[in-house]
Amino acid sequence: MKKVSIYRPTTVDEAIQILSQHGTSASVYAGGTDLLIRLKNRLEQAPSYLVDIKKIDHLRYIKEDAQGGVEIGAATKLAELADSRLLQEKYPMIVEAIGKISSPELRNASTLGGDLLQEVWCQYLRGGYSCWRNGGYLCYGAIGDNSYYHSAMGGRLCYAVYPGDAATALIPFDARAKLATPQGVKELSIEQMVPGDMLVDGKIQSHVVRYNEILTSVVIPPPKPGVRASFEKLRPRGVWDFAMASLGISLQLRDKTIEDSRVVFGGISGKPYRETTVEAFLKGKTLNTELGEQAMSVALAGAAPLKYNATKIDMAKGLLASGLARLNT
Amino acid sequence: MQTIEALLLEPVGCLAEFPSAPFHEIAVRLFGRKRKASWSASRTYWHLLNLIDAVETPFGAEKKSVAETLEVEAVDAASIYEDVVPALAELKSMGIRLFVASSLSRRAASRFIERNSLGQFLSGVRTRDDAGGVKSAPLLNALVGASLPREKTMFLTDTVEGIKVARSVGVHPILMMNDPEESQRLAMHNPAGGVVSLHEMPDFIRLIAAQNQRG
Repeated sequence: MKKVSIYRPTTVDEAIQILSQHGTSASVYAGGTDLLIRLKNRLEQAPSYLVDIKKIDHLRYIKEDAQGGVEIGAATKLAELADSRLLQEKYPMIVEAIGKISSPELRNASTLGGDLLQEVWCQYLRGGYSCWRNGGYLCYGAIGDNSYYHSAMGGRLCYAVYPGDAATALIPFDARAKLATPQGVKELSIEQMVPGDMLVDGKIQSHVVRYNEILTSVVIPPPKPGVRASFEKLRPRGVWDFAMASLGISLQLRDKTIEDSRVVFGGISGKPYRETTVEAFLKGKTLNTELGEQAMSVALAGAAPLKYNATKIDMAKGLLASGLARLNT
Repeated sequence: MQTIEALLLEPVGCLAEFPSAPFHEIAVRLFGRKRKASWSASRTYWHLLNLIDAVETPFGAEKKSVAETLEVEAVDAASIYEDVVPALAELKSMGIRLFVASSLSRRAASRFIERNSLGQFLSGVRTRDDAGGVKSAPLLNALVGASLPREKTMFLTDTVEGIKVARSVGVHPILMMNDPEESQRLAMHNPAGGVVSLHEMPDFIRLIAAQNQRG
C-alpha cells in the first residue's frame, strides 16, 4: 500500500485548510471503499495525504428540512440511507437505488459523498496503467476491452463510465449538493457537480469539486404531487457489481398524462446521462403500454459505442421500456 | 511533458482516410513490388516511404511525375475526418502553431490543403520536396525552419514508423488511435500519448499546460 499521512480534523474549516495546504496530493477520506483500493493498488494518482472527515460533526445525518425536503450529510453511510424510513416514505426510488449499490458490507462503509465523487472503475486505471487519470496520456479502454467499464456515448480523453448509482437516482428529483469551499458555501445541482470528464486542478475527474472543497450535504426538494419514480439496473451479478446500464426515471403525472419527467441513464457514459430528448418526447403523452416502445425509438440517438460495448445502449433502451412499464402498473 | 507549442501533422492517416491503392501502385511501378496492398493506407504509405528512403538518388522526372500523379489521385479520393477543421480551428485559437510536415510531394500536399481549406489554420507546410527527403526529413525541416522547440512539439501518427521518426527527431509521438486492434499493437511502441480523435488534442494540450502550471 502506498504510504500516506492522515489528518483527523474536527471541523470543516480545519479540513479545508489542510486540503489547501497540500494541494492535489491530499484527498478527503470517509468510507474509503474507493480511496483505500487506489492506495492499495499503488496508483500514481492516489493521494499522499488523507484528510479523514469522520471526526467532523454534522456530516452524518438524514433530516427533513423546513420545506418538506430531505437533507443528507455527505458522510452518511449508504446502509443508513437504505434503512431510512424518512427516505422510504418520501423517495422510495432512492432507497431502492441505494439498496442496489455494491454489497451490504460495502454499504456499511461507503458514504453518500463517496459514491457521488468516486473515481472511475476502469480496469486499466485500477490495474495501474499509465492512463489519463494515472499520470499518462492515453486511454487504454478506448482500444482494449471496453465492454463493461467504458462509455458508449463518446468521451473526452478518458472513456471510462461514471460509476455512481446515487447520482442517477438523485437527479430525477432535482437534488442539489452543498460544498464547503475556502470562499464559503457553494451550491450546485447534482447534474452540475458531476458533468463528466473535466479538467480540474490539472487532473481529469468526473466531478467539478476542487482539491480544497468538501461536499457536505445533499438536499432533495420535497416530492412533487403526482410523481412516480423508478430505478432500474442491469449488472452481471445480482449483487456487488457496477451497472452495465441503469436508469433513474421520474414522471410527474396528472391522471395518466405526463406533465414533466426526468430520464437519467447510468453506466453508459462519463456522466449520469440525462436524456432530454426522451423527456421532451414524454411531455404530454399518456402513460400506457405502448409508450415504452415509442420512447425507446427516440432514446440515445447520440450513442457512440466503442468496439465492444454497443450492447450497453440496447440495455439502456430496454431499461427505459421496463421503467415506463413499471410506472404504468 | 513540457507545455506544447506546436503540432506537426502528416495528412495520411491523421487528417483523412486515404485509399491505399495509389500508394501501393507507386510501390509496384517504381520499385517493382509484387505483394498485395495492405488494408491500411497508412501502412502502405509508410512502407512506400521506406522504399523511397532506401533509394540513394532522387527520382528522375518521369518517376517523380508517376509518383505525384498517383499521390494526387490518393488525395482526391481521401475523405477528411469530420473533426479536423473544428479541431484545427480550436488549436489555432489556443496559439498552437500547426504545420503539415509530410512525406507527400509538394503538389499532393498542396492539393490536400487546398481541397480541404486547411491553409487558414497552418503556420507552414513542409513536404519531401522542401526537405529533400522523406520520413524524418520534413519534420526536421519544419523544426529547423520555424525554430520550433522539439520538447514542446508533437507529431501525430498512426504507424510504428511514425513513432520512431518522431522519437528520432526529438518530438513527442502522439498516437492517432484510428483502429482499436492496431492501436493496441502501436501502444506497445511507447508513444508519448494517444487520442481517439483530433478533437481531443485541444484538451490534451490544455491538460499538459494545467499540469505544468500546477507543478
